[in-house]
Amino acid sequence: MRKRLLPVLGVAGVILAVIVVLKVAPAGSATPQGSRTGWGDPDLQGIWTDDYQTPLQRPAKYATKELFTDEERAELDRQRAGILRRDQRVEVGSERDVAGAYNAVFQSIKHTGKRTSLVVDPPDGRIPELTPAAKERAATDRQFRLALLQATQTCKDNDAACAGGKYGPPSPRRAEVPPFYNTGRLNRSDGPEDRSMTERCMAAVMPDFGGYRRIVQAPGTVSIFYDVGQGQGWQRVITLEQVPHLPSSVRQRFGDSRGHWEGNTLVVDVTNFSPKSDFMGARENLHLVERWTRVDAKTLEYTVTIEDPTTWTRSWTVKQEMSRQDDQANRIYYEPRCHEGNYGLPALLSGTRAEEDAFKAGKGPDPATKDSATDFGTEGGVDALTGGG
Amino acid sequence: MSRRSLIAAILATAVVTAIVSVSVTRITGQTSRPARTSDGKPNFSGVWQVANEANWDLQAHEARAGAVTQRGVYPYAYAEVPAAPVLALGAAAGVPGSIGVVQGDKQIPYTAAAAMRKADNAAHWIDRDPELKCYLPGVPRATYMPYPFQIVQSGPKIQMIYTFANAARTIHLDNVVGPPDDTWMGHSVGRWEGDTLVVDVTHFNDKTWFDRAGNFHSDALHVVERFTPISADALRYEATIEDPKVFSRPWTIAMPIYRRLEPDIQLLDYPCIDFTEEFMYGHLRKQQLVKHWEGDTIAVDIRRKVPPGEQLFDWYGK
Repeated sequence: MRKRLLPVLGVAGVILAVIVVLKVAPAGSATPQGSRTGWGDPDLQGIWTDDYQTPLQRPAKYATKELFTDEERAELDRQRAGILRRDQRVEVGSERDVAGAYNAVFQSIKHTGKRTSLVVDPPDGRIPELTPAAKERAATDRQFRLALLQATQTCKDNDAACAGGKYGPPSPRRAEVPPFYNTGRLNRSDGPEDRSMTERCMAAVMPDFGGYRRIVQAPGTVSIFYDVGQGQGWQRVITLEQVPHLPSSVRQRFGDSRGHWEGNTLVVDVTNFSPKSDFMGARENLHLVERWTRVDAKTLEYTVTIEDPTTWTRSWTVKQEMSRQDDQANRIYYEPRCHEGNYGLPALLSGTRAEEDAFKAGKGPDPATKDSATDFGTEGGVDALTGGG
Repeated sequence: MSRRSLIAAILATAVVTAIVSVSVTRITGQTSRPARTSDGKPNFSGVWQVANEANWDLQAHEARAGAVTQRGVYPYAYAEVPAAPVLALGAAAGVPGSIGVVQGDKQIPYTAAAAMRKADNAAHWIDRDPELKCYLPGVPRATYMPYPFQIVQSGPKIQMIYTFANAARTIHLDNVVGPPDDTWMGHSVGRWEGDTLVVDVTHFNDKTWFDRAGNFHSDALHVVERFTPISADALRYEATIEDPKVFSRPWTIAMPIYRRLEPDIQLLDYPCIDFTEEFMYGHLRKQQLVKHWEGDTIAVDIRRKVPPGEQLFDWYGK
């Protein structure tokens, strides 16, 4: 009996062992859609970026045109290559000149992409209309910004940056707290909160359509490092565990991500955004559903459905194809060290304090008449892809 | 041994193997976490944290009355009292004692000049420690800061993600070009020595510290880390520190790191750039929030009236 039992147990053991092995690696090493990780998940790993320039919204001049022909892309590339803004100077020695100091070295221009917009839904390629409440918020915010610009040359010259505003003496609103937590550049530097998230080294937002991503996976986890802005990158961890989102009282700048696999696609639900995060006017009510799919060895397709019923009248979807970058020869340098070298923000604040002192002493202009909010860097050349409507 | 018993023995081994394979699979959340990865390495993926006082001071030290202290009645260091920056926080702002994490003779072998700088750093902790400014913490300090960190272990890349400052680093187990400049978090190249993950970290700048006690290094820093499993939920961390500009010989720290076993554990944001703006730029505001900036000096004026009902005699009177 004992001698018979052993082989039986043995056979059972072998079967068990085979099951365990199969459980660890349920699928083959590759699928038609791309490779798999050693533990059988779709493999999204590597460094990815969108190699092409595509406007977020379809410019009005392309109306119902969804795709460019190869000839159109070549012609657009030719036209766009002519506006490199290399060493462009605006009124040499002026503040505008300094504000436009970023030349072609900093503003890389990519080849024209095949689609006329990143937005694929609605089908017109345009971001849906704002809700009445969101329009009112935007108008309130705009009025405050215009009041702070009121005494500047920008408004005196009727520059586009002052559209909707008027030129006049410094507004008493300069003493007010902004109507909403500020994320853009105000024409005021009373403290760090008046300056943009970019100047404060916190520019990164979700979702993001630029820069590079490095994806590293483990069973149950997908991590993505976003190399965006100038050293303003950030690290994201997506759990694939079936656990509910964080309590709604816990809010984070990049939200709270919960992922799962649907076939070869990583689907991520993102909620719990902070009122300090600002994606095109959407804040704590933003809800994203992302879909990451490796469509072939070199291509990662990313779609994100963006929803916020307090901001847009309907949800909208962006689609982007990213291409795999060489892991070994890659020379992108991604350490996010903007804050560590942020001399600009204290210099801007202390410079403004010095201007105020000089004005009080009768040795300089009223700082309220100067413009530190408008970006003049894009003047002097219209991008043929997005310009003219 | 007969052929039949041999077969039986082999099969019995298979049973044991199968049972062991199943039993070492632990449950976290809803997903099983095997003790080894699919390529047979120890599985370090997960959320980890140290439980020690190394971030206060790598060396053995007794508890102190405050993170910042001043001379009290007596002229002795052991009788100092909390100073203004932390006084209002009472016993919550003291420094816990520690048996230390420096190995061997427990000494950090500074050169004579570097030892003077270390002492000076300690005296100017709140002015100089990069942690207070939310700067990237560097390696090895990122490992033993009092926040959880996450390891995402793939084959050729291991991503380490730290709560503090949202810092991260990629450990390259494959061939990769080094960075074009020095770095805060170093350039990490890993390899396996048996079950130990050995990480060689280079390309540092001289701006990070090892702890809040002023222990520092130069841009010649070279760190060799060793991550070795103790059990499925604990590993031994060892870092050998070499910097000929600052230390007369290499020295080593070691400590256990524990897995965070909460089934729903996840890293939460610690957005400290935001948190430090007042500390770093408050003196440059038009209307200052801290009322006693004297130039760029915070002149802390602690005014905290003990509320009615919270006085000691109120407690005893109840």
